[in-house]
Amino acid sequence: MSLKDVIHDIEGYRDITSEIAVLKKYGYDYSAQRGRLDVILDMLHPKKLRLRVSEIIDEAQTTKTLRLVPATGYLPPFQAGQYISLVVEIGGVVTSRDYSISSSPCQIAYYDVTVRRVGDGFVSEYLLEETKVGDEFTSSSPAGNFYYNPLIHGRDLVFIAGGSGITPFMSMIREVTARGLDRRIHLFYGSQSPDDVIFGQEIEDLSRRHPNFTWTSVISVPPQGYQGRTGFISAGLMKDVLGDFSGRMFYLCGPEAMYTFCQKELAGLGVPGRRIRIEMYGPPKNVTACQGWPAHIGADATVTVGIKGGKTITVRTTEPLMNSLERNGIVIPSLCRSGECSLCRTKLLKGKVFQPEGVKLRKSDRQFGYIHPCMAYPISDIEILLT
Amino acid sequence: MPEYDVVVIGAGNGGLTGALTLAKAGRKVLLLERHNVPGGCATSFVRGRFEFEVALHQLSGMGSAERPGPLRAILNDLGVMDKLEFVEMENLYRVVWPDTFDITLRAERNAIVETLQDRFPKEKDNIPRFFDLVYGFSMEMVQGLFFKDPNISKEKYPLFFKYAFTPTRKVLDEYFSDPLLKAVLSIYWSYAGVPPTWLSFGDFAIMLFAYIEFKPYHLKGGSQALSNALLDEFINNGGEVRFNCGAKKITTSGGRVTGVVTEYGDMVQTGYVLSNASMLQTYLDLMDPDQVPKETLDAFRSTSIGPSAFSIYMGFDCEPEELGIQETTNFITTTTDMDQTFARWKTMEQQGVALLTCYDVSDPDFSPPGTCQAAFVSLQYGDPWHLVPPHQYYDAKYRYAEGMMELAERVFPGIRGRVEEMEIATPMTHLRYLGHLGGAIYGHDQYTKDTQYFMANRSPVQGLYFAGAWAMQGGFQPTLTSGRSSAKGILKSMAKK
Repeated sequence: MSLKDVIHDIEGYRDITSEIAVLKKYGYDYSAQRGRLDVILDMLHPKKLRLRVSEIIDEAQTTKTLRLVPATGYLPPFQAGQYISLVVEIGGVVTSRDYSISSSPCQIAYYDVTVRRVGDGFVSEYLLEETKVGDEFTSSSPAGNFYYNPLIHGRDLVFIAGGSGITPFMSMIREVTARGLDRRIHLFYGSQSPDDVIFGQEIEDLSRRHPNFTWTSVISVPPQGYQGRTGFISAGLMKDVLGDFSGRMFYLCGPEAMYTFCQKELAGLGVPGRRIRIEMYGPPKNVTACQGWPAHIGADATVTVGIKGGKTITVRTTEPLMNSLERNGIVIPSLCRSGECSLCRTKLLKGKVFQPEGVKLRKSDRQFGYIHPCMAYPISDIEILLT
Repeated sequence: MPEYDVVVIGAGNGGLTGALTLAKAGRKVLLLERHNVPGGCATSFVRGRFEFEVALHQLSGMGSAERPGPLRAILNDLGVMDKLEFVEMENLYRVVWPDTFDITLRAERNAIVETLQDRFPKEKDNIPRFFDLVYGFSMEMVQGLFFKDPNISKEKYPLFFKYAFTPTRKVLDEYFSDPLLKAVLSIYWSYAGVPPTWLSFGDFAIMLFAYIEFKPYHLKGGSQALSNALLDEFINNGGEVRFNCGAKKITTSGGRVTGVVTEYGDMVQTGYVLSNASMLQTYLDLMDPDQVPKETLDAFRSTSIGPSAFSIYMGFDCEPEELGIQETTNFITTTTDMDQTFARWKTMEQQGVALLTCYDVSDPDFSPPGTCQAAFVSLQYGDPWHLVPPHQYYDAKYRYAEGMMELAERVFPGIRGRVEEMEIATPMTHLRYLGHLGGAIYGHDQYTKDTQYFMANRSPVQGLYFAGAWAMQGGFQPTLTSGRSSAKGILKSMAKK
């Protein structure tokens, strides 16, 4: 004998079975929900976007904005400051790069991404020189954690931008001014020369029309006779412009060197870490200069990467593993390419990799030998498990 | 075409224990997971200096090494205990009603009785009587049901037969008159997602009993450590796993499972599928209408999609004491009316009950030195979020979170001033990551009619098995257990052939 033989003896049993009988008769027919989950998801977080370049806008020297409209479906909303990961295929190599959306989140007819040529920019070169109106791209949905949080950030915001690091701020400034939001913004915008300033005219116009938005352009290599602020965005300069620092929230986006400099300056001014938000910036320009890099491994050293059950490839120690894999036609999932999002999480079976400080591994992922290939540099022959 | 003995769809708690059980039994198993990391709800994410625990608040059923609970026994069998370090919580919970009432219960029967008698002197005699009932009932349930007594009868187990299906509220009303005491005693109802008015006393009593007897636990590295340990052992036992790769279709022939098609269109041959995807979604989206008998879908008519959650994850730049947080588990309430609280879960109104869990109180290593983290959660259904237009989603999310923070600040004034990292998850977030309609975190609603006693968990499709919240009930212990049981069912079926 088991419970099912005597279950009717449990008090209330018959009431429940008749309840079920009634519900089965009149209850909701779930077959109507077939396929509904994807429909709901696509409204907010589609897995992938298919985008078409509708317009290419010259912004400043070596800088263009690609206006991207949906090639299929429609664009999901985003928070000003977020990026998309744009997939490109160049010379047979499939790779991706993140671009902050520079357009306002108040409209989602299109996303603007603003691209500046960088030194050895494999991808930026392609986007600036090869891309034409009508070209299509695949991208991720908007992602990233560099945005305003009304619950904790307060009303007084200071944006510190360097070069093309202006792009997420442009989206935020456009939103705050267009929606008339109750926030005060001061933008420090560092550029090498006055010609490098992106969105200069629009920023100036917005600051004239909106008393809650002001800005300071700071030129590091000024031409002769330049009248404005020059040098770096230093503690002295910020103090001079802002006066009082209390209650302000600082946001940094720009090149590596600017982070190192400005973070020190802000710390010197007594700004607590929780009041500073920093946008990630991809792999370091020169990994051998990172703290903890094994000194005996030179910049041109190579090692082998064995993929369990697959091929073995030879790679440079100073290139992120993900890039080396892509170069060899092995595309693994990627999103942030900065060691944060863990989408590329991969198990290291043998050997050693160097992961710079700031790679955001879960404690137990570290314990069980997982790495983030977008910011992992093989420093011995290794074997990985691609799952 | 690759061939496997079993394909497990989803690496949530049930999928993981199921896959591991099968791999350990020497079966060739493929585990498919849409996400990039194992665990489902049992996961974590990193922001800044913090690794946030997503879902685990208090692990039930562990017990100590000397007095192991059922879950510890399972994890022992699965061979993952030596990879994990569990942390026992001393206290059951604190219930605090801002400016009104505040009580903390230790995870110990006599201490609870004394504390409650002290605070509710008018109910002095009723309190121990109530605990006699909870314990008496639970002992009968363990002996009669869990140990499958072949001579189970109404006469032998009178408490079980009287109370198993009785609404918890009816029992509370029978024993007590003070609404506050009833609210304090039954606050775990929110772990089940059904208010005392409808929660069966069977579900409630065994939960309270288990937490007191086996103590609430957490573990170093959070629930992700458990998921990672289970997966690691699965790989060590020859299991194959594919991340970022969901299942698209289950193929059948003549009412029998024949294979699985992945989201990339790869065909995999198998005679058995253990689906850790939602049971409803498995039938609706992984199978075509002609593969599923009409009665099977009709059976869902008596069920309803359960609650999701609204969660705020916070990393603070100070220790818990500085924030006034002294307990790991803090239920904040502003009412004793749990029916009304439950009704609000279906709206965008501010919640009446929420839970703030600060893991660092029991485990100071949980967050980096000099910091701590808290998960602040209220259950909420997905429905009201479907009415929010996409372009207003973020505003709605922050507005709702603002209400939650105001509630938190009534108990812990000034905490938001120390937040260094914050992430907010709405029911839509849970819907996205879990792939469940309504963002349901516990499967369907667990009314008495939906409990194990009334559910046909055998699929009419031969070779199709289920694990996870939708197959049994929500929560860590039940889902971990369900994967193990279903895997055993598969092994038994294989042995018959």
